[in-house]
Amino acid sequence: MKRCINTLTIISTLGLAALSPIETTFAAGKYTIALIPGLTTDAFYITMHKGAEAAAKALGVDLVFQGASDFNPVTQVPVLNALTARNPSAILIAPTDKVQLVEPLKKASEAGIPVITVDTFIGDGHYQTGSGNADFPLSYIASDNVLGGEIAARALAKAIGDKGKVYVSNVKPGISTTDQREQGFKDEMKKHPNITVLETQYNDDDANKGASQFQSVLARNPDLAGVFGANLFSAMGASSGAKQAGATGKVKVAAFDAPTSIVPEIKAGTVDIAIAQHPAEIGYFGVLAAYAHLTGQSIPPLIGTGFTVIEKTNVDDPNVKRFIYSD
Amino acid sequence: MNSNASNSEPVLDLEHISKRFGGLQALKDVSLTLYRGEVLALAGDNGAGKSTLIKTISGVHKPDAGAIKYCGEQIHLETPHQARDAGIETIYQDLAIADNLDVGGNVFLGREMVKRICGLPFVDRRRMRAEALVTLQDLDIHIQHPENPLRSLSGGQRQSVAIGRAIHWKARVLIMDEPTAALGVPEQRKVMEIIQKLKKSGVGVIFISHNLNDIFQVSDRILVLRRGEKVGERLISETNHDEVVRLMVAG
Amino acid sequence: MFLEKYFSKSVLLASGGEQTSSRWLSLLASFRAWLFLLVLLAIFEIWARVAYNATFLFNPMNVKAIALFTITPLLLALGQTFVIISGGIDLSVGFTMGLSAVVTAHVYNWAAQFGNPAISLVVAVVAAFAIAVIPGLINGHLIADLRIPPFIGTLGMYGVARGVSFLLAKGTTVPVEGRLLGEIGNGETFGFPNLVLLTIVIILGMHYVLSHSPYGQHIYAIGGSVNAALRAGIDVRKNTIALYVLSALGAACAGIFYTAKFSAGAAQAGEPVLLDSIAAVVIGGASLFGGSGTIVGTIIGALIIAVIQYGLVFINVEPFWQFVAVGVVIIISVLVDQMQKGGRK
Repeated sequence: MKRCINTLTIISTLGLAALSPIETTFAAGKYTIALIPGLTTDAFYITMHKGAEAAAKALGVDLVFQGASDFNPVTQVPVLNALTARNPSAILIAPTDKVQLVEPLKKASEAGIPVITVDTFIGDGHYQTGSGNADFPLSYIASDNVLGGEIAARALAKAIGDKGKVYVSNVKPGISTTDQREQGFKDEMKKHPNITVLETQYNDDDANKGASQFQSVLARNPDLAGVFGANLFSAMGASSGAKQAGATGKVKVAAFDAPTSIVPEIKAGTVDIAIAQHPAEIGYFGVLAAYAHLTGQSIPPLIGTGFTVIEKTNVDDPNVKRFIYSD
Repeated sequence: MNSNASNSEPVLDLEHISKRFGGLQALKDVSLTLYRGEVLALAGDNGAGKSTLIKTISGVHKPDAGAIKYCGEQIHLETPHQARDAGIETIYQDLAIADNLDVGGNVFLGREMVKRICGLPFVDRRRMRAEALVTLQDLDIHIQHPENPLRSLSGGQRQSVAIGRAIHWKARVLIMDEPTAALGVPEQRKVMEIIQKLKKSGVGVIFISHNLNDIFQVSDRILVLRRGEKVGERLISETNHDEVVRLMVAG
Repeated sequence: MFLEKYFSKSVLLASGGEQTSSRWLSLLASFRAWLFLLVLLAIFEIWARVAYNATFLFNPMNVKAIALFTITPLLLALGQTFVIISGGIDLSVGFTMGLSAVVTAHVYNWAAQFGNPAISLVVAVVAAFAIAVIPGLINGHLIADLRIPPFIGTLGMYGVARGVSFLLAKGTTVPVEGRLLGEIGNGETFGFPNLVLLTIVIILGMHYVLSHSPYGQHIYAIGGSVNAALRAGIDVRKNTIALYVLSALGAACAGIFYTAKFSAGAAQAGEPVLLDSIAAVVIGGASLFGGSGTIVGTIIGALIIAVIQYGLVFINVEPFWQFVAVGVVIIISVLVDQMQKGGRK
């Protein structure tokens, strides 16, 4: 199981590495790092891009941000191939499929371009182990989505008084991040004997479907206490379904991811808990790690970034506010 | 040349019509007269110019030379619509009927009868059907289930609806392209009967056919084209199959 | 008497032709969508009672939830019905919906400067319709003037609308500031959700246009035979362009309703709904080759899909069966349609 690594250690190690004199073992001139998000039009990745830009500026490297407009390997692979052909110094990528991206990334790696995956992974996410055909990336930098699911579970359990029925509203099986969140949520809930986890509902990223599923589950389980929306549209659907059924407040809604649209919902009480990832950190560390590797330092194969739990009580706190994903 | 059986009013006069397409002279100096209540058969081998001729009459093509007179007056047809509005209707082989609509819908297509409710037009399907049936009955055509879409009718019945559509809008010249081509024998006979009825009501009919039996059964006159030129015009009563074929082939 | 007239019209418009002997089969076929829906509701009701001692049909929350769930695919399917009857198809409606959703949110927020929420609402709605007209016109032009097959033309538009929607949205969702829109979107009047009432009005309008106006008759004609329509003096070109604009306006309604419901406009709001909307039209009795279909049929089709998806969650069936179920219903519908049309010569 992935465990969150002490971020302070990482920052200081990489920071020191960044400040040390640059070894010109590679071609002279600026490094160009390519960042390929899961999709370009998502506040999460846009925030990640901002973090990466900050690191790039600080280090004096060029950052290229290119991707597809949908979360789909069919559209991501051509972008990856095009960037590989331009021979960047390193590739940071959020792979849209853990199997289909292996070969194209391997080609890049074999062409001498170091690969680091951010947010999502290929294979099983365990890199540099010497086994398996997807272990060539140097590092996997992401929120620990399993941990995120656990945190959501704990927050939801607290909100519902540690007893009652809950269910997970998810997108579709097979996406590493949402699968892990669900896994973490369910594992944590096993430790809460008075909470029953109902069958997961898949909404195909359609908020309307999520709303309908919520109402259906509630109709069958009038004593439903809570719902965990494993991504934005799942949460939007659940919260809307609760609104329609007049169950806002009675059924607690926990949401994963915190774009700006979640703020009014938290303030109005239609979403009780939002688990914000730190995508800017992911982007920042991504560039830092790539740079460190390019300058001859070794980097850990796994870097986990943390979460912030946002609730009505702290949503206006500036320390918390800055973790809302900006567009 | 006059046809004895008809009222001697010419409803259509083509004078020295010529039409060229690029290097091909499709029609050369063709003249014909069609009288009220007469059936004129148009015969000729493939490529003789029959199709071009009827398209010229129905406004699809403009002649390079020559004049068209309709009911005694010269007309200039720019579009098929003008021809239709004037009263020259053409039924091509594909019939151009919407077989998902019923009899009324087809006869009144583009000219639907509406009743107004609160100022909004409501298509009055019942009335359209009733009126269409009246027109068809005049031609001795009976449709068993008139509310059914036309695709449930036989080929001959659909042909009759196409004819009925033309008649309803008071066509005075009806041009038919191979009307019996896709029909079985009893239906062919039915179409011939309809043409007889049309004659009686004073409509002038031009029809293209390769079927000499049909031609001899119902026509008053026959006009033979060959390579764009008129090579013969006869009263049916004064000619026979052999002569027609000879004209078609040898000119 | 009224029923007889109505159903014979259904026979005329929704079913194919038939010989007298298989008339009962054709009646069955035009009823099939209704029948299917009733059977479905019965199955869920019985299952719910037997397995959970609960009612499916008589729980007002279920009825409301199903009605609300049906709205989005139905609004897309209404315009799609017209397009499919004419022999075409519109694959761009999903993203036209997203485009309108995003524009509704942006303009509503922008109009807050005028200080009057009612004005914001009106301006936002007008803007959403106006923006949707553009892909509609382009589709119509591609298909009517450039003679591009509808499948390909609208597929191209799908890509364009998608790109533009995402650009406009910058992030994936545009939150709505201000409460009026959300209140209307989630509120009720006389016990009925506002969005459902509005949809009913739209349905009545669409039904009039398709089944009773001369324009509707011309669309059926175009679907039956373009030649016949041309020959009859129908301006096929203008009518076709109007079709795709109508379809886009339906998608705009869906987009506006989405933003009203969720107080946020999402560019990909319509993406998962496209196929359901086409399925609804087909299940409702339209032929994908054109010439047949009705608004009522489409409504039944959309209800069937919604009832299946909602009901399977209700009786706690594994989610994957939902996809199987909808697919099976489509296949059965098309099969029955073929069988009944096969009765003609």
